[in-house]
Amino acid sequence: MVDERVYEMFRDIGRDMYVHNLVSSHGGNISVRFGDRIIIKRRGAMLGRLKPHDLIETGLEKNDSGVALASTELIVHRAVYKATPALAVVHAHPRRAIALSLSRDEIVPIDNEGSYLLKKVPVVSVEFASGTKQMADAIADALRSYKCVFLRGHGSFATGQTLDEAFQWTDALEEACEIIMYAQALNEQMIEYRRMSDSYTNW
Amino acid sequence: MDGWMGKVLVVDLATSEIRTEPLNLEIARQYIGGRGLGARLLWEMVGPEVDPLSPENVLIIAGGPMTGTGFQTSNRFSVTTKSPLTGTVLDANSGGFWGMRFKRSGYDALIIKNRAPQPVYLEIKPDGVALHDAAHLWGKTVSETSAALGQDKNKRNVLCIGPAGENLVLFAAIMNDVTRAAARGGPGAVMGSKNLKAIVVEGNERVDFADKERFRFVQYEATKMLKANPITSQAFPEFGTAVNMNILNAIGALPTRNFQQSHFDHAEDISGEAIAERILVDNPACWACPIACTRQTKIGDQEPNEGPEYETAWAFGAACEIHDLEAVTEANYICNDLGLDTISAGSTIACAMELAERGLLDTDLRFGRADLLLQTVTDIGYRRGIGDVLAVGSARLAANCGAPELSMSVKNLEMPAYDPRGLQGQGLLFATSNRGGCHMRGNMLGAEVLGLPKLIDRLQVQGKASYVILNQNSSAVLDSLVACKFANIAVADEYFARALSALTGISYPTGEMIRTGERIWNLERLYNLREGFTRADDTLPPRLLNEPATGNSAGEVSHLGPMLIEYYRGRGWDENGVPKPAKLQELGLSDLVAEMM
Repeated sequence: MVDERVYEMFRDIGRDMYVHNLVSSHGGNISVRFGDRIIIKRRGAMLGRLKPHDLIETGLEKNDSGVALASTELIVHRAVYKATPALAVVHAHPRRAIALSLSRDEIVPIDNEGSYLLKKVPVVSVEFASGTKQMADAIADALRSYKCVFLRGHGSFATGQTLDEAFQWTDALEEACEIIMYAQALNEQMIEYRRMSDSYTNW
Repeated sequence: MDGWMGKVLVVDLATSEIRTEPLNLEIARQYIGGRGLGARLLWEMVGPEVDPLSPENVLIIAGGPMTGTGFQTSNRFSVTTKSPLTGTVLDANSGGFWGMRFKRSGYDALIIKNRAPQPVYLEIKPDGVALHDAAHLWGKTVSETSAALGQDKNKRNVLCIGPAGENLVLFAAIMNDVTRAAARGGPGAVMGSKNLKAIVVEGNERVDFADKERFRFVQYEATKMLKANPITSQAFPEFGTAVNMNILNAIGALPTRNFQQSHFDHAEDISGEAIAERILVDNPACWACPIACTRQTKIGDQEPNEGPEYETAWAFGAACEIHDLEAVTEANYICNDLGLDTISAGSTIACAMELAERGLLDTDLRFGRADLLLQTVTDIGYRRGIGDVLAVGSARLAANCGAPELSMSVKNLEMPAYDPRGLQGQGLLFATSNRGGCHMRGNMLGAEVLGLPKLIDRLQVQGKASYVILNQNSSAVLDSLVACKFANIAVADEYFARALSALTGISYPTGEMIRTGERIWNLERLYNLREGFTRADDTLPPRLLNEPATGNSAGEVSHLGPMLIEYYRGRGWDENGVPKPAKLQELGLSDLVAEMM
């Protein structure tokens, strides 16, 4: 039985993700780890309209009936929790970031907030980019060193101690990508204002 | 050997033999340094048959790879031993300048064995290491000893015990740089039992870096975090850690009258704001620390001294229902000079006050009796009169008076200034801490009160174990680097992992670094299990499980039971709190356990 406080956390973050255009109607998924258990969004549920029954509890290691109801990306969430100390995972489809991921191997923010929070977000590429072990391993491996990584053409995976922390990295990434696009559209010479800015790509 | 100095100094006090051994790099990689290295060495060297105050116990003093590098707060060192107060594995760490100087004397760790026939002190200098007679220092206070041995924070740093350590007070501290303390659990008593009065260090050896440019970039980014965070850049420098006093009181999580209440009507009188307004002289910093939370204060015509920080102001204040800031501060000064743990001293006095009010202890001590505070603290240090009765800590005191339930301790270590009834995760933390009731083993204050990294509901029970486990593992790493927990308020684990990797040339992704903390935590757990501790010891005083809190946590009790079940499962332990074979295998501890258990 999921605590009401936990449900409220899922409901609020899910709603914010939809409102912020980070997912389409049925896209994306979020989860938290409680000890050896995972609570994850129900498969097909709408993040912007989560109800208490849309929260599915299942094992971190072991399958149970929960896997029949859990998000398609459960395999990724499990892999991430096993590979990292994360207690929450947010997976979104931020549109500007998806666009940028099609032409680069890393997203390095140029705005102050993005630099401050993220430094850089690596872009990972796999052949089967939805719900596969190959994808799960690649994402989990990248998240061992970065709190937010991007699957090329698909979306972001961010970790945190809480859902709102992982949501923050996701939203910050999309904001940073929007600013990169504006700057590119302006097509003006950038005046670098950050000391040691060359080092971000080595983060 | 980038990051580490590669040498361990071993001193046998019984034979006066002094030798240098190479640091085992594989052990260093797996346990980092400081607390982790100490736990690994203690596991091998001190078994369950050893009395903590016998010559067979050892004292392990260790810096970590980050110590002395200039990274923010990289000044600390750790003391590991078997605790005379708790009987558990113990590490206590301290800041100031001594830890940096010890690292720069060229050593990663110092192992003190056996007992000297007469009082001695150890001197570590670039031209050699020597033991000297300390008969002229025995009986002297910390400030007297430090002065006599030429304490100079920028050149020659003194670590010593005061009369409390000599007199084997079970919560005696080891002091360094006059006013810094490695105090919890009584390491000063272990040092006293060895007839070792002081350790003086000099040296200026430099730490080597695998990738200094990368290290400095991480350090630069960490600086941004520390400057931007209002706790590390404003609240702690201006008000010290006692800025927490009014915050905890407002939510009904400030233990008062030996935890009979969880709010204190006079909290403002002993708060960080009151300290800043009335007695603060300066806020000096430990070496390489941009936070500067130290309170240099002055009472009347006395010389300026240090304190109180939050837990001390609480222990001699709210816990004893005393709101006389000058008395609280002076009690802190006495603890500094006699070498006492302020938390255990104050909490033991609070316990005595309740015992006396219930007619179970013959003393004039009563809640609110500030007039008796200073004499009582002094008597504890010298083990005189009622002080001798209290010098064993609250658990033994309360048991001796027939009311063990009145000791507000876990595994005999007095709990600090956070009421588990209003902070559910903090209660689980206290119950499961490997050195007993302690907030410095994964403090939940950040998550449950200060919103670090994000605020979680302080009364939530489900899922709380996961936060506690992560914080415990992280704290084990910080204590092994060795870094200050306060830097971690602003600087996330990720930054420490990147700095450690750049420093040592060994890849420590954040998850792998935290896994190292998990290894250390589990080894400490195994140590305590080998000592005979069981699931029954992972608990809280009955008062916190049964008697409702007051103030803005009114009606709440600790829901430890369900959290503990979730905790054991989350840790990969069985229902008795014993790590399962699969967990030991995963952490690389199976062989160690097979050899030694």
